[in-house]
Amino acid sequence: MIMKSNYHLFMIAFRQLLNRKRQTFLTLLGISVGVMVLITAVSLMDGLLQGFIQKIVDIAPHVIVSGERVKPPVPDQLVTSRNGTHVIFIKNISREEQEVIRNYPRVESLIESDSLVQLVSPLVSTDVIGMFGTISEPIRLFGIFPSKENGIEKFSSGMVSGNYGALERTPDGILLGTTVAKDFTVRLGDRMQIVAPSGTIYSVRVAGIVKTGINDIDDNCYVNMRLGQNIGGFSPDEASYIYIRVNDLPKNGLVAHTIEQETNYKAMTWEQKAASVVALFKMISGIVYFLVFFVIMVAGFGVANVLITNVMEKARDIAILKSIGFKRSEIILVYLIQGVLVAVIGAAIGCILGFILIEIMSSIPMASSGQSLVSSSHLMMGKNPMYFVMASIFAIVVSLAAAVGPSRNAARVNPVEILRGER
Amino acid sequence: MTNEAIIKLEHVSKQLAMKDGGEEIVTTILPDISFDILRGDFTAITGPSGSGKTTLLYLMGGLDKPTSGRVILDDQEISSLKEEELAEMRNARLGFVYQFHFLLPEFSALENVMMPMLARGRSSLNQAKERASDLLDRLGLSDKVRNKPNQLSGGQQQRVAIARALANNPMVILADEPTGNLDSQSAEMIYDLFSELNRETRQTIVVVTHDEHFASKTKRILHILDGKLNSDRILE
Repeated sequence: MIMKSNYHLFMIAFRQLLNRKRQTFLTLLGISVGVMVLITAVSLMDGLLQGFIQKIVDIAPHVIVSGERVKPPVPDQLVTSRNGTHVIFIKNISREEQEVIRNYPRVESLIESDSLVQLVSPLVSTDVIGMFGTISEPIRLFGIFPSKENGIEKFSSGMVSGNYGALERTPDGILLGTTVAKDFTVRLGDRMQIVAPSGTIYSVRVAGIVKTGINDIDDNCYVNMRLGQNIGGFSPDEASYIYIRVNDLPKNGLVAHTIEQETNYKAMTWEQKAASVVALFKMISGIVYFLVFFVIMVAGFGVANVLITNVMEKARDIAILKSIGFKRSEIILVYLIQGVLVAVIGAAIGCILGFILIEIMSSIPMASSGQSLVSSSHLMMGKNPMYFVMASIFAIVVSLAAAVGPSRNAARVNPVEILRGER
Repeated sequence: MTNEAIIKLEHVSKQLAMKDGGEEIVTTILPDISFDILRGDFTAITGPSGSGKTTLLYLMGGLDKPTSGRVILDDQEISSLKEEELAEMRNARLGFVYQFHFLLPEFSALENVMMPMLARGRSSLNQAKERASDLLDRLGLSDKVRNKPNQLSGGQQQRVAIARALANNPMVILADEPTGNLDSQSAEMIYDLFSELNRETRQTIVVVTHDEHFASKTKRILHILDGKLNSDRILE
């Protein structure tokens, strides 16, 4: 009904714009490019963040229990004041340099009893020196139960060479992350040496090479738990970490809290572990959005420019419309409609261009530098209809705001001045 | 009926203040003028350039406000109306024709005539189209309804402007030098059109002109000199 009764205003607005084809086209182009850039920037930033989170959620532990205690162990203080010397004894400290989970099978079964927990995988971690031919480099070595760890880190689906099942069957087998394999230039079946912190040299056979896409994982290598414990000098009942996968991801905080309460071992959720990275992502997104905001603002200036010119050029027509009885509000509406028309058409074109650009960008192959947190074969672009809706609304609001000034100027036109030719 | 005044000007004065540098210069255009326009009358306001004819017309049409005095249209004092009320009054009761046709260039003849009917949501699109079509037909432009102003001759443009002035069936048509920009043949056609309108529909018409020939075709001539009523002649 409003559209129908304002049809003539719509037509005046539309035809005035059509009358200045070139300027209107350039303004449309400005809005379109602004909307396209905004949609693409949001898609890129959101895609990176969501892709990162998705990968983490898929192949990283939801909760990591470490040997660190929530409350420090209470020292058994035996204090003697003989000759003014104080002596403090703490029982059962065998290795001071490394905090470990003691009697991990007990802790593991305790964690497994929680109905929210899906999978539990204990592991040991040691920094060692790897040697192959003339190459020797420090690497991080994990001792794992291959079948348990596969449930968490999904190694079997990321095998670049070899069979993941072979690791469990090979007591001296080692599974290398793709980055490590590349550094040492080793291939499946090669033998390499591992120098333990104690100085002992272990000979291991490459049982497989894996690529998960998370560089934090692809930088490591994995052996069976027993061998890992031997290399790291752990007792058979000690573990460095227990990785946990939960049934319902948002409840991982609750699981971590329960574990801390029950075991006194520190339990960290993936969000806590990745907090700094997520915060960095958000900060970069903020900067990108801020810059794109200016692109749209410039497009808004374009709208203001075309409307100011229209109002100036059409002052005589405005005077005529007023003299034949058009209300101020009707005149204002003509120019607001022009602002919205340019914005809506520009946003529609911008949405189409944005969609095409997202498709093109997401199909661009991307070589992994090995330096990033998460590697992917293609640019991870987010795809969400909300990007288009929000960018369009933003463009329309900016254009409307830009149209307010010229519209008010149009309403202020004094017909007598114009009709007399005083202006 | 015909002796009833439709427009009354009572001691109307108009001064314009203009800034020249920092100094304000006040120019008196109309010192003090009073006259009536009768219903169904066909009046010409004549006088030399700068005598205040056009100002008088704008005051009668509510486009401008007097500095003092009263302008009364159909028993309503319009000099004190607010802008929105004046716009409503112009739309419903008055029709304007200017020296230049002042048609909207992007719209066809038909659409230009429809505009006053569509303003303020007065008529539906179909009603407006029907009436505009009738009016253009009456003014001999039935084959030009789809033409844009630049596809019409000067005389045709002015006839479209007259059709637009008639759109809402106004009480009074106010015309400012409607033939000032036309060749003699087209001007003659416009004189005849106004005479015919006045004769056949008793339409009240006030024309500002310095064309003596045109003025002689009206029923009454008000001659203005230096903003004052110099003479008031009834021609019939």
